[in-house]
Amino acid sequence: MKRRTFLTRVTGVIMGLIGLSLSIPLIGYVVSPALRRQAREWADAGGFDALTEGRPQELTYIVAIKDGWMKTEAEKSVWAVRQSDGSVTVFSPLCTHLGCGYRWDPGDLRFECPCHGSVFDVTGKVLAGPAPRPLDRLPVKIENGRVLVLYELFKSGTSKKIEL
Amino acid sequence: MLTKWRTVYDWLDGRLRLKPIEEMLLNEPIPGGASWVYVFGSATLFLFCLQLITGMFLAIYYAPTPDHAYDSIQYIMTSVTFGSFVRGLHHWGASAVVIAIGLHMLQVYLYGAYKPPREVMWMVGVGLFLLILAFAFSGYLLPWDQKAYWATQVGVNMVGTIPWIGGLLVRIIRGGENLGALTLTRFFALHVLFLPAMTIAFIALHLFILRRVGPAGNFDHKRTAGVRSAPQKERRAVSSSEPFYPRQVYMDAVVMGIVFLIVAALAAALPFPLADKADPSDTSFKPIPEWYFLFYYQGLKYVHGPFEPLATWILPAVFYGVLLFLPFIDRNPVRNPIRRPTAILIGAAFLIAVFSLMAISLKEIYAVPTTDPSIVRGRELFSSLQCNGCHRVHGSGGAVGPDLSYVGRTRDRDWLIRHFKDPQSVVPGSIMPRFPLEGSKMDDLTNYMLSLK
Repeated sequence: MKRRTFLTRVTGVIMGLIGLSLSIPLIGYVVSPALRRQAREWADAGGFDALTEGRPQELTYIVAIKDGWMKTEAEKSVWAVRQSDGSVTVFSPLCTHLGCGYRWDPGDLRFECPCHGSVFDVTGKVLAGPAPRPLDRLPVKIENGRVLVLYELFKSGTSKKIEL
Repeated sequence: MLTKWRTVYDWLDGRLRLKPIEEMLLNEPIPGGASWVYVFGSATLFLFCLQLITGMFLAIYYAPTPDHAYDSIQYIMTSVTFGSFVRGLHHWGASAVVIAIGLHMLQVYLYGAYKPPREVMWMVGVGLFLLILAFAFSGYLLPWDQKAYWATQVGVNMVGTIPWIGGLLVRIIRGGENLGALTLTRFFALHVLFLPAMTIAFIALHLFILRRVGPAGNFDHKRTAGVRSAPQKERRAVSSSEPFYPRQVYMDAVVMGIVFLIVAALAAALPFPLADKADPSDTSFKPIPEWYFLFYYQGLKYVHGPFEPLATWILPAVFYGVLLFLPFIDRNPVRNPIRRPTAILIGAAFLIAVFSLMAISLKEIYAVPTTDPSIVRGRELFSSLQCNGCHRVHGSGGAVGPDLSYVGRTRDRDWLIRHFKDPQSVVPGSIMPRFPLEGSKMDDLTNYMLSLK
């Protein structure tokens, strides 16, 4: 190999190594938070004793939301139904059709969505309207008389329950 | 692969006529030949580029407000993959730039390369040196921790000692009466927008002049006219100069590789921790500047009263004035350092003074025990026993009991221990509960109390 070629190659290799050992960390640096799923935490949605069996109630509670280095608080609300076996069913507050907020009609004893007229029964089953699937149930557990809810979001408009 | 690249290059060359530029860039003759002595300029340039890149990436997560600056850097350090490494590169890279530019200036000084016809290149270089120091100073505030806040406070106050306009300058630098949100945003804008733009322009000018005047090369090499147009073989024979490519390029690359390895190793091995979040009310914090300002910091300790302005601004102003106009002050045309004893002696005296001050400063910093481990344990006890529920220390804690920020000034060890065991025995009617701690814990908590002065 000619001396000139050798020097050129060494120069190229050094520059390449610097570029490589710099670009790998930098790519990881940019990409990592974008790929990370936010850890969800169980949030205290209210007391179990305040719920009446078979009557859906809207539970509004505050959750701490981590947004990068910021911690903010947000109000969440879910629909909770106390069951006869002592468990609680919790529905996501968003209609499975297009994500509108539905209400419980205490007269007709059913959930009604004002946007496009979807109707669900107390178990979340679709009774009428364009909703493609039953109301989305959220993970729930009861500890020390408190209803703990894991808030999750699901894709609207699909017949399958797909978590976002 | 290589031939494909050739084809692309030829295609571009056919349109953009790149070959003459390539030749101009690579075949620049270095009088006396390539040398490891000439690598510092390109090492500085390389490190500056590294700072540009890591800085741009840090800006992806950094938020320049007092509310968020500290937390956003904490986020980079703890939650971003390679975050602490990237910040480490920027931190150690900053020190490396200062070293590299110092060595570069030293080499130019030693080789008399600032002499005609390179006066303007030297002056632009001094401008670049000042820009780098401005980078260092403005960047130091951005993490918004105690160290950043108080070191900047001291640095800005120094400007205030300039007669007549000092007060106004300080206000302009701070963007108001106090060091706060407005200071942080203007330091941020300066650090990431103004200074980089100015530095890139100055570097372009510096390199443009280098290409117009040509590198100085060795000091005993006679300048030869018309070398550039001569064919390479003849040129070597006539003037013993050597083109920039490939040997000098290779040497520069090797040094860049070594410099990068050192900075990356430091970034990986010694992550640079944040101090506590900046607390403007906590005046007990003793700021220590970065190592490259230490000699100056030490020098300031020796001047007091009416002589203070001498050190805070008269000497620096004279120094930069002399540095800037050095090619016009030192009119001796000789470049060989052996034959310019005065210049070399002055340079050596300056270096000895700087390094002595730095050594004394470092010695003093390390002679002071930073924190007694017992005090650290005491502080942990203070928070685990929830003393701060009732007592305030430097702005944080409840206001039920007395503020303990300076309790070490007024109470002694015996009093504190008797008080912990039975508060009512020394302060009748006190509502503080008893804390009958066991021996070593009692000592730790007492030592912490005594450290609050």
